[in-house]
Amino acid sequence: MELLMPFLISVALLFIIGLMCLMVKRDMVRLLIGVEILFNAANLNFVALSTQVSGFVDPFAHSVVMMAIVLDGCVIAVGLAMALNVYKHYKTLDIRKLRRLRW
Amino acid sequence: MVALDLLTQTVRIPLPLAALLLGGLTMPIIGLLAERAALGRLREAWMFVVTAADLGAIYLLYQQLKADADGILVVHLWGQRPPLGGCFEVDALSVFMSGSIAFLGFLAALYSFNYMEKESRLTEYYALVLLMMAGMTGIAMAGDFFTLFIFWELMSLSSYVLVAFLKSRWGPIEAGFKYLLMSATAGAFLLLSMSFLYGMAGTLNFALLANGLRGAEVTPWMFVLFSTVIVGFGVKAAIVPLHTWLPDAHPEAPSPISALLSGIVIETGLYGLTRVLYLIFEPGFFRMSIAALAVLTMTLANVTALLQQDIKRLLAYSSIAQIGYMLIGVSTGTAYGVMGTFLHVFNHSLMKGLAFLSSGSIVHRADTRDIPSLRGVGRMMPYTTFTLFVALLGLGGVPATNGFISKFILFNSAIGSGMVWLAVAGVLNSAFSMAYYLRVMKALFARPESEGLEVREAPTLMVAVTVVMAALIVVLGLYPAPVIGLAERAS
Repeated sequence: MELLMPFLISVALLFIIGLMCLMVKRDMVRLLIGVEILFNAANLNFVALSTQVSGFVDPFAHSVVMMAIVLDGCVIAVGLAMALNVYKHYKTLDIRKLRRLRW
Repeated sequence: MVALDLLTQTVRIPLPLAALLLGGLTMPIIGLLAERAALGRLREAWMFVVTAADLGAIYLLYQQLKADADGILVVHLWGQRPPLGGCFEVDALSVFMSGSIAFLGFLAALYSFNYMEKESRLTEYYALVLLMMAGMTGIAMAGDFFTLFIFWELMSLSSYVLVAFLKSRWGPIEAGFKYLLMSATAGAFLLLSMSFLYGMAGTLNFALLANGLRGAEVTPWMFVLFSTVIVGFGVKAAIVPLHTWLPDAHPEAPSPISALLSGIVIETGLYGLTRVLYLIFEPGFFRMSIAALAVLTMTLANVTALLQQDIKRLLAYSSIAQIGYMLIGVSTGTAYGVMGTFLHVFNHSLMKGLAFLSSGSIVHRADTRDIPSLRGVGRMMPYTTFTLFVALLGLGGVPATNGFISKFILFNSAIGSGMVWLAVAGVLNSAFSMAYYLRVMKALFARPESEGLEVREAPTLMVAVTVVMAALIVVLGLYPAPVIGLAERAS
């Protein structure tokens, strides 16, 4: 458990950094990087916990993390494609300019 | 075993899922053929075949499930034993859910044939619709959290692109990016909750998780897990503090996609939430928080819907309110309440699907979504408007429609489990919601202000689809026994 604690703390820190990034940044690419940080925090948590549950390093967690990395790569790719389209329409990547849709 | 065997029985997939995946992946080839050889409607024909095959395969699966003794079919992926490899577990609830998905998917596909014919990039459109349906069917049938996550992302990815499909306009792009950002964040929360589950139980298999965690003592980690699960599924299910993407994304998508998103995608989020909550926690643990979320969701969505001027945006808010009603059933923690929830999922998929499809026809012809400028359009499109009325009355819960039956069961179950205030809140909200449904009806029926407005009835196939759905709403409202029986088996 003592070995696990630094990992859990860094996961919490990464998560907070990712959420802060989503809240305060206004560049669309930076927002996507924030999402990526969140995904990586979750992945790190998986790998850290895999050393604890069954007494050996469980390969199952690593296969899950591999798939998760691929999936969030896809999400970011779609997000960047959308950012490109936003740039074509608005000539800016500033998220605060995207205000035409309101509640 | 109704499953497709690939590579000499090492990879097995349930048949409905195999049909959808195969259809989606071969669609680009079909599209290429249709363009090069000028075969006209080949894509539409293939879409029809695949969605019909999906419905047929689900019927086969249902027959097999009925014959099966313990009511769960386990399909192993990759030939591994379930704790290690991914697997599908098909029970009555999965068949019920995937049946709703296949049914609405089939009707929305038929509707798209006319609605989308002027758009370009049809091949991508149909392929993405099929993959989105495959994602949802996979979620309904998943037997472990890992499989669920993969199909979750398949569904999410295709729905991001479908929301932003009409990329020549600014609205879809902006709504799509908002949806992507919120939903991807929720995906990260879901992955985090998976990792906590894995850390607690050492597995992601649903059956083993239930054995390992149900009734375990409540530690602070359980609260962390609970909140990450709520955020992870709640964004897709549009539970109120997390709903802000929905009223943008649903109106800006093409109408058949709005129908699919509102009719089944958000319910898939609810399905995941329900399944995971009931697997991992004792009902007493989450009852009060879900009940509070239900009241918040219903009330806020209904009040905001009243202020809307855009017909599709109004319907999107009404979807959020319906999610609130479904959460009542989840919060009761009884089998009766969950039956009500899933009955309402099916009924809502019919009603909201119909509402979006017929208002889509109106918007398609009248070329505006503004309710005041739709005055009198109803007189020029009598069939479509009639079906829209049936759908709106059903959503308001008027007797003789199927919406009444499921709402009755939901409120009844809330009283049965000692939460009378929840039922009162539900009934008040339901009455309140009629106000904005009636406003739409009044606008459509009113005498047109200017004489110049000329709108034709929608194409025959679009009208036919909406009429069939309206008929089903009334028939299931008067004779609900078959669907209730199915939902009862499911819960």
